Amino acid sequence: MTVQFTAPTLQTDRLILRAPQLSDFEAVAAFYASPRSSFVGGPISAELAWRSLAQEAGHWVLRGFGRWTVVEKATQKPVGIVGLWLPEGFPENELGWDLFDGATGKGYATEAGKAARNFAYNTLGWSTVISLIADGNDASRGVAKRLGATHDGAFTHERFGSMQIWRHPAAEACA
Amino acid sequence: MGHKIIPTLETKRLILRGPTPEDYPDFKATFASYRSRYMGGPLNPYEAWMLYAAEIGHWNIRGFGMWMIHDKDSDETYGMAGGWQPAGWPEREIAWIIWPDKAGKGYALEATHAARGYYYANGWDGAVSYIDPKNLDSIRLAERLGATKDKDAQTIDGSDAVYRHPGPAALQDSQVAHGIEMEITHYADPMFKPKGWALD
Repeated sequence: MTVQFTAPTLQTDRLILRAPQLSDFEAVAAFYASPRSSFVGGPISAELAWRSLAQEAGHWVLRGFGRWTVVEKATQKPVGIVGLWLPEGFPENELGWDLFDGATGKGYATEAGKAARNFAYNTLGWSTVISLIADGNDASRGVAKRLGATHDGAFTHERFGSMQIWRHPAAEACA
Repeated sequence: MGHKIIPTLETKRLILRGPTPEDYPDFKATFASYRSRYMGGPLNPYEAWMLYAAEIGHWNIRGFGMWMIHDKDSDETYGMAGGWQPAGWPEREIAWIIWPDKAGKGYALEATHAARGYYYANGWDGAVSYIDPKNLDSIRLAERLGATKDKDAQTIDGSDAVYRHPGPAALQDSQVAHGIEMEITHYADPMFKPKGWALD
């Protein structure tokens, strides 16, 4: 048998971060069908959105870390995907966040992003992490700023195009 | 931390295990090559890695998926075979891909026969294979597996042909099943020479 590693569950005040699962598909497909996904390679078809959900799970197995489905405690509904990401071709370990429709403006990306960053620093032992933000994605840049990250160069991705590198405060500074 | 388990299957020459990070280089090389033209390739490195993550994640979120085909003795990988059903697939599929330089030895036949047998023993009541009509090697393999073209079945997007596999009852002790096992025996034992040759 082959043992597959899956995401541990984390909790914040208002959110649960848990392993991506099949029942997230509708929410993920809706996100990737909407213009909200335009900064992260979308909009894409339902079939590719399914693949993307499978990739979230597969990333945990390939890297030992990955992104969580963020569930709102009050409603038990998935509100986004947040976590640690390093597909082939990324310049370094990344902290990323995608919030679904209707979940913005509540500080959820910041709250989940902090939990994921703490996991990276305290559990995985990372010393630094960046966020890649597409040019023009002002909302996402706002989250990076609220998380204390600072602009630290540029990176061009073969699929997502030109992106800004935002570097988070180092592990010691977040302790 | 959570874990999920992928079963291991053994055949005459092969061992089928869940795909792991170590198996990635051969997958990547195949999906960078012309060999992958009927499976959405060739892909750039980012796309290949993400597709491999999806292969692995398919197991994780769906509970079944594609095994990595290893040589029983050397552990070398030959390709992937198993079950596949992302969104948009009307039915559960038996799928396969063999690395370009490992074709012609009957590995796909041996691996898909085992994978199909496992799924049939674990609740599947049938399966199809969605094949590009230009992919003659794969069509020939589907036919050796006893699958027949189902013109009335729903396709993925109209560009694929649906080959329907014999169900568990029809396959049990059938001439097709015995024929597959005999063909595999012939590949495994150099005393026997198969008639013709396998393309896949």
